[in-house]
This record gives sequence, C-alpha cells and structure tokens, in this order.
Amino acid sequence: MSTKRRVPGELTRGQAALRGTVLALGALLFLFPFYYMVIGSFQTTPDTSIAGIFPNPSNITGANYVAINERINLFTGLVNSGIFAGAVVVGTILFGMVTGYALAVLKWRGRGTTFAIVLLVQVVPFQLLMIPLYVMIARDYGLGDTHAGMILPFLINSTAVVIFRQYFLQIPKEMFDAARIDGASELRVLRQVAIPLVKPALVTVILISFIGPWNEFLWPFLITKDSSLQPLAVSLANYMTTIASSTTNPFGSMLAGAVVLAAPIVLLFIWFQRYFVSTDIGSGVKG
Amino acid sequence: MQRRTRIAATASAAAVLLALTACGGGDAANEDASTARGDITIWYSNNEFEIEWAKAMVEAWNAENADEQIKGQEIPAGKTSEEVIGAAITAGTAPCLVFNTAPSAVGQFQKQGGLVDLASFEDGTSYIEERSGDSAEQYQAPEGGYFQMPWKANPVMIFYNKDMFAQAGLDPENPALSTFDDFLATSRTLSAAGVAPFAINPSTDSQFFQVGFDFLPTFAAESGGMGLVEDGKAVFADEEGITVANFWKTLYDEGLAGREAVQGDAFADGVAAMSIVGPWAVSVYGDMNWGSVPVPTSSGIAPEETYTFSDAKNVGLYTACKNQATAWDVLKFATSEEQDGQLLELTGQMPLRTNLPDTYPDYFEANPAYTQFGDQASRMVEVPPGSNTVEIMQIVRDTYSKAVISGEGDLEEQFKAAAEKVDALAEEG
Amino acid sequence: MSSETVGRSTGVVTPGGAAGQGSRKRPVLQRIFGKNPLGVLLSTPYLIFLAVVFAYPLIFAVYMSLHDYFFSAPGAVVERPFVGLDNYVAALTDPAVLRSFLNVGVFLIINVPLTVVLSIVLATALDRVIHFRTFLRVSFYVPYVTASVAVVAVWLFMFSGSGLVNTVLGPLAPDPSWLINPLLAMPTIALFVTWKQLGFFILLYLAALQNVPKELYESASADGAGAIRSFFSVTVPGVRPATVLVLILATITGANLFTEPYLLTGGGGPNGASTSPVFIMYQQGIEQGKPGFAAAIGVVLVIVVLIIALLQNRFAGGKED
Repeated sequence: MSTKRRVPGELTRGQAALRGTVLALGALLFLFPFYYMVIGSFQTTPDTSIAGIFPNPSNITGANYVAINERINLFTGLVNSGIFAGAVVVGTILFGMVTGYALAVLKWRGRGTTFAIVLLVQVVPFQLLMIPLYVMIARDYGLGDTHAGMILPFLINSTAVVIFRQYFLQIPKEMFDAARIDGASELRVLRQVAIPLVKPALVTVILISFIGPWNEFLWPFLITKDSSLQPLAVSLANYMTTIASSTTNPFGSMLAGAVVLAAPIVLLFIWFQRYFVSTDIGSGVKG
Repeated sequence: MQRRTRIAATASAAAVLLALTACGGGDAANEDASTARGDITIWYSNNEFEIEWAKAMVEAWNAENADEQIKGQEIPAGKTSEEVIGAAITAGTAPCLVFNTAPSAVGQFQKQGGLVDLASFEDGTSYIEERSGDSAEQYQAPEGGYFQMPWKANPVMIFYNKDMFAQAGLDPENPALSTFDDFLATSRTLSAAGVAPFAINPSTDSQFFQVGFDFLPTFAAESGGMGLVEDGKAVFADEEGITVANFWKTLYDEGLAGREAVQGDAFADGVAAMSIVGPWAVSVYGDMNWGSVPVPTSSGIAPEETYTFSDAKNVGLYTACKNQATAWDVLKFATSEEQDGQLLELTGQMPLRTNLPDTYPDYFEANPAYTQFGDQASRMVEVPPGSNTVEIMQIVRDTYSKAVISGEGDLEEQFKAAAEKVDALAEEG
Repeated sequence: MSSETVGRSTGVVTPGGAAGQGSRKRPVLQRIFGKNPLGVLLSTPYLIFLAVVFAYPLIFAVYMSLHDYFFSAPGAVVERPFVGLDNYVAALTDPAVLRSFLNVGVFLIINVPLTVVLSIVLATALDRVIHFRTFLRVSFYVPYVTASVAVVAVWLFMFSGSGLVNTVLGPLAPDPSWLINPLLAMPTIALFVTWKQLGFFILLYLAALQNVPKELYESASADGAGAIRSFFSVTVPGVRPATVLVLILATITGANLFTEPYLLTGGGGPNGASTSPVFIMYQQGIEQGKPGFAAAIGVVLVIVVLIIALLQNRFAGGKED
C-alpha cells in the first residue's frame, strides 16, 4: 500500500521476504527426506542418530550401489522403463489432447456422457480391475510378456484428458471465435490456436503421464515374468522389498534402490522444467 | 435412435457374456498334458541362495535331457508372489512348476483348479510319503490327494545375541529361555542392562503370515504339536492358546518387545537381543555371535520334544503345464537326495525329508549350528489346510494385534470370538 | 469487479459463431452428432481404448459382485452361484469395511482442504519468485515424482518412536508414537499423502495461473488492491476450473488410498485404524480369494466417490455449459 506505483501484483519488500522465507523453508521440508535418503544410501552402517544427518567421511561407501548393480541389470531395466513410459507419454499426449479439446471446446452429442465416463474411469480403483484386466490381456489378447501388454492399459491417461479439458476451458472463447471468423476449420483451430495455448499444460501432462508408468510396479510385474522385459521399477521394488533385507546393510540397500529409481525422473524433470515453463505464455493469451 | 442404442447395448452385453463364459469355460486339451513330455518352464524364488541352487539344478537337468529342456525364471518370494501365481492360473499362463508355493495359498490355488493332484501320478503318493515320512500328512488336501510337494522348511526358533547376553551378565552358552517365566526374567535382565532397546522384536505388521512368527510357533510348542485348527475346529483359543497369548502380552506390556515396526532387521541391527525366525536367517546374521534355542513353553518342554511352526515352502505342479510328465520327473529330480543335499548346502533351509541329520551327516558335522534345526524339522506344524487358510490366519492375526500387541480389551474374550469365526470358516473347508 | 471480468472471459459466449457456421455446411452429420461432429471423431480413439481395456473388466467386476465368485483356471469346472446383493449386504454390515470408509472420511477431511490451500498458495508464490526458481519448483515436485515404495522407508524412519520427529518434539512427542497411535495413524497418512502429492497440484495451479490475464491484476492494483487482496479477488476466481480439478482429483486419490496403509502402517494398523476400502478389497479379493466381496466394496466406493465429485463440481465449479 505504501508504494503507490508498484508493478501490478508485486509484493512489498516485507511480503516478498516473507514469501521467500516460507518457500525456502517449505522446500527444505520437502527435500529433507530425499537428502536423508541419499545420505543413508552411502552409509556403511546405518547411523540413525541426529549426527547421521550429516555425511561422515569414515562411514561413506558406494557398496550399496555396487550390490544393486550386481543383482539387477540396470541398463535393460532403464531401456524397458523408457519404452514403457515413452509409449505412454506419446499415447497420452496425442489422444489426451484431442479428447480434451473435444470435451472442452466442441459441442457434440454424447459429450456429457463421455465426460462422465472419463470421471468414472478415474474413480474406479485399479485393484478392482487388475485381475480381470490381466486375464483379458494375457489370455484373450495374448499379450503376456510383451511390451504391448505392459503399455496397453496405460496408453491413455484419463487424468490427462481431464487436465487438457480443464486448460482448454480456461482459454477465453473469444480466441477460438476469432479464428473461426477468419474461416479456419475446427482442425486448424485446434492446431494453430488451441495447442500453442496449452503448452503449460503439456509439461504437466508429460510429467504425470511419465511418472505413472515409470513408478508403476504391480502391473508390469504381473504381465512380465521374463526379467529381460521388466522395467526398472519392478526390479528395484523387488530388490527393496525382498532382496535388500538379506544384504549386510538392508537399510542402506533399500535407500540406494530408492535413489536409483528416483534419480532419472528427477533429472528428467529438471531438464523439462527449462524447456516448458515459460511465463510468456500469459501474454500469448492476450495476443 | 432409441432402438439403435438398445441394439448396441444388447450386442455389447452379449459380447460380455461370451467373454464371461470363456473365462470359466472348458477346453479339454489338458487330457493328454498329463502324459506329455517336452520343454517346461519353472519359477523359483529370487533369494540369491535359492537362485544359485535352482540354476545349478536346471543346468544339471538340461545337460542330461536334451529333448526336455527347462527354462527357469525368478519370481519374488515376498508378499506379492501369491497374487502373481493366482493371476497366472486364471489366465492359463502359469508355469509348470513353482518352487516356492506357500502352503497357505495352496487351498485357494486348488479351488481355482490351478494345481495338479500329484497323487494322480502312479508313483505320486508313494514318492511324497517316502521322502517326507509322517510330516507329509500335513500337506495332504482335506479331501485327499497332494496338490503340493512338501519341499523345504524353516523351523522357527529363538535366536539370541551371545554378546549382548554376556554383556547383561547372562550365560551366553546356556541361556535361561525354556519356560515362559525364564524367558520373561531373561528379557527383563536384558532390558534392565540396556544392551538393546528391546529383548525381542517380532514384526508388528498386520499381514496374515506374521502369525507364523510369534503366536503359532509358541502355540505349537505349548500344545505339543497342534496347529490353529485341528479336525475342523479352532483350537487356538483353548487354554494353551490363552497362556501363550498372555505370555506375549506380558512382553509387550512391559516394553520388552516393541509395538512399532522396525525398518530392516531388528536383530541384525542390534535393536533386539533375540529374534524368532528360521534357519534362512543364519546367512543374514553372518558373522554375528548368535546362538539358537527352541521356542519357550510354560513348563519348559525339552528341546527334543518341542514343536514349532515350519514356515515351509513347497512345489506346485500347475494345470496350465503342457508337459506334465516331464514336470513330474523334474520335480522328482529336484527333490532327490542329491538335490536336497545341494539345497541344504547352499541355502541352509531344511528339505522336508525324513531323518535329515543321518542323511547328510557331513553337512551337519561341518555346520553344527544347523543340527538343532535339522532335528527340529521332524517336529513342525503347518498352517490350516483348505481354501480359507489366509482368511483364518488374518482373523487370528487381527485378534492378536489388538489383544496382544496393543493389549486392548479382554484377551480371552477376543480369542474366543475369533475362534467362533474360524470354526465357521473351517467348516466351509 | 474483477471476478466479473473473469466470468466473462471463461463464460458462455460461444453459441454464436462456430455453431451457426457449421450447421450450414454439414446438416446431416450435425443432426446425428451435434454442432461439432469433429468432437465425435476426436474422442473416438479414447472411447475405443476405454472399451478395449476398461469396460470389460468393469462390467466383469459388477458381475463378480453379484456372484459367489472366485477366479479359476481355464478349463476348470467350478460352481459360482448368483447371490444377488448378498455381497453388498455382507460388505456394508462388516464393521471392518465401515471402519475403512470412516478412515477415508477422516483422511479426506484433512487432506483435501490442506492440499487445495497449500497448493494454490505455494503455486502463486512460486509463480512470481525470481531467484532460485528452478531449485524451488523442483524441491516441491520431487516427492511427487518419486515412487511411494522409495519414500515410505524414509518416512517410517522419521516418524518411528525414536525417530527424528519425536527427537525434535522431545516431551511433546505423542505416545504411542504416530504410526501406531489409533488417533494419529490416519492423520499421519493424510500428511504423508499431502506431502507426496502436493507437487502435482502445484503444477496444475502453476499452469492455470499462466492463463489468468495480467490486466486483471493491473486493474485490481489500480483499484488500490494489495497483493493479498488481489490474490483473493483475482487469483482465486481466476483459477477456479483448476480448483475444481484439484478438489476432484484429491478426493479420488484419497478414495483410492492403498499403498500407504499397505506399507506405512504395516497393513492398516494399528488394529484397523488406518485401513482403507481399497486395502480391504486387496485383502479380501486377492489375498483371501473372495473377489465377489471385494468387487461389492469397489462398486460402493465408486458410487460414493462419484457422488462426492458431482457435488464438488456443482458447488465449486459453477456452470460450464
């Protein structure tokens, strides 16, 4: 209030400092368990005291990671995870976007029903469908022990459909109308107006549709028995729940498994972050 | 429009019905599967010692039988292997043999029509009964037949940390742990000496199978060899059961046992001075200075008469198998005296075969620590048979968690109520 | 004033242009499929996908819930009689099942408001921050991108009786400790899930914030509104569709709670204080071989969540057509 001619929406110095502090504290709170995970994964013997929070040169080892590497083929796991998650991302983006657009912008018969179905799909717990789905895919479609069988149930993420729909809804209708008045076909409106405008949604959807399959354990585990087809999450979750306990440092081995599983996606995320989130999109809307 | 929707709906309903019937429907191709020979697939546990054994076994077989090759794959031994097998049965994608079929799941797999009755092989019954002797009986289906090959056991005993015992001024070579009173007194001494946060720390998990690692072994010992259910009646709420439950309750009430889950292994990490597990743990405890004794009883039953829980893992031959004659031969090969010896050597788990100490004298001489387990392997109880095993165990576990671990409510009353529920289930079979 | 503007921009302007144009071109298609037949075409792949992988298992689940069902090997001859609503009656009179629904209720009451408030506030703050932008964002997303199996181990350690949290709290530490305390187990799980999922919801809000027109902030500021007031008068109404989405998704996440009671509280402990309907479905349907009973719980759960989602959409969402 005191400084009359601020840039709109900007905070006072005190408020900004407060915001910075809150964010920093929050970030620390969010990061701490991960920091602890990494520290623990490098410990020779688990140190559960407060001193264990800090790295102790006499208690550092890479042995927990070596143990994983000996037991699991990390490279095959990564490739399988990549195929699985990559296919899901492509399917989700492609079909999720067009379906979300149809649900948000276009008017057609069955739209309400379709949206109700999209919601229903998300509400149904996977545990309810798991075995019938497995029977169907493995027996009726004959896709057991294949990448296709692994990918199929995740090919389109319904949450992504809802998210795309929601973002298309947020785009002011005038923008579509303007394009239509210029004589653009509905498909061109989608390609040239709608898609560029939902770029911020893209990063969200890529991320959520990537994370799901990347961390998914139960389904690929059911559908693949051949270890050369198993994604990293399956072999690592396996390692963490059953094998780690019979190593000399179960806690360290488990945490090392957790780090190996988390690291690629965190790195990938940092990389995405740079390319997609841009505040300029807001001005594009005004365009 | 209206009509079109209705037609579409009817068509899709019909498709679903077709699919549903297909799900239970019959293809009778299995007729000749029982005599067919050829390549087979087997699954084994993912524990590194068992993998070593299984790989060697597969190699030995494959070298001799060029026309009947085995393809081996790992499945996890943990919490999820039963659901994987269950799903594979339903889809008809189960392998020929699973080396690590939990007895608690056999009843369900049998009900699903997933398992082959081994007694249907000419030499089936005789082979099993010759190999395992009297203990084979526990693995017989209630209505007769063997839907599992008794394979190996991990008789549950008390491990104790000799260093901690010495530190607390207790005799590490002859610990006083045979009666409940002794056990409690020893635990109190350990606790008072502060050598470890807890005297003993069984898992507090609510999973059904945890029954086998606190209540069931002590109950088997106290009752002289009874399981949770005998002759279709729940017996765990009888006098012996209540005595055992009160023993454990005292441990929890006095803080001698921890009420909270511990990450990792409490015994190996020095969180507890004792643990209650089978011989598989020996390899985990490695160079720790440990000793082992049978589980305690109220009157201190002599070690050579003490019963315990077997924690057995068996082998199932699955109906989806196309070459069942080969599978049966492999099963016999894998449980031969030689292979059993290998298994013992590599994993330290006890093959379910009669008279272990005399069959493998060299091994027990070289590994005296295992002698007790070898001997204990002749006195073991199993989980209740039938398709409701898991549900029965879950009821017992839930009751135990509440009345014993948390110490809430009237113990005897809750046990009696649980026994009534179990009676009804046991009757169903 | 500002909310009026927002109402106009997301509101009901459409019917004119596009529709009128199209109806002149392809009247037949439009009579069958509505104003934009393209919508049908664009949604077809998704609908086919659902029919292929979703419809059959779902109908199958409903079928199971009406039978004394169990899974059987192909070729096995078994009897699975129709039992009507028996499974539903059994499920709804089972104290353990009712308890699990109550538990999820507690979970939702804590988790949903916390999630909505924290994620909108943090997203707004993160949106404007200039220094350490990537670092701050990534910190909040990290729990979300990591598998539950991986983070549960660390939480178990922090919230155990002798864990870091209790050490810091000293004499204020609860007894019995968090995860074995019947009153605190569910709230601790709710906290865990909030922490775990918050990044996702922040992400949703951040993207939504990009679409709130900057002019609205300018005019709010010209009217003399400070940062706090413009947050309530511009930001909050501006991201309303996202809020509905967050509400619904958070509710769904809560209703499908499974991994946490399974791993964090050792199977719904202590004594069922942290079970969830999905956990019981897993226990009954997969472990204990009673999928009919499990399916009945599942169907009830789906209906309850759908009702909640519809109510949320009605009350928080306002109109869309």
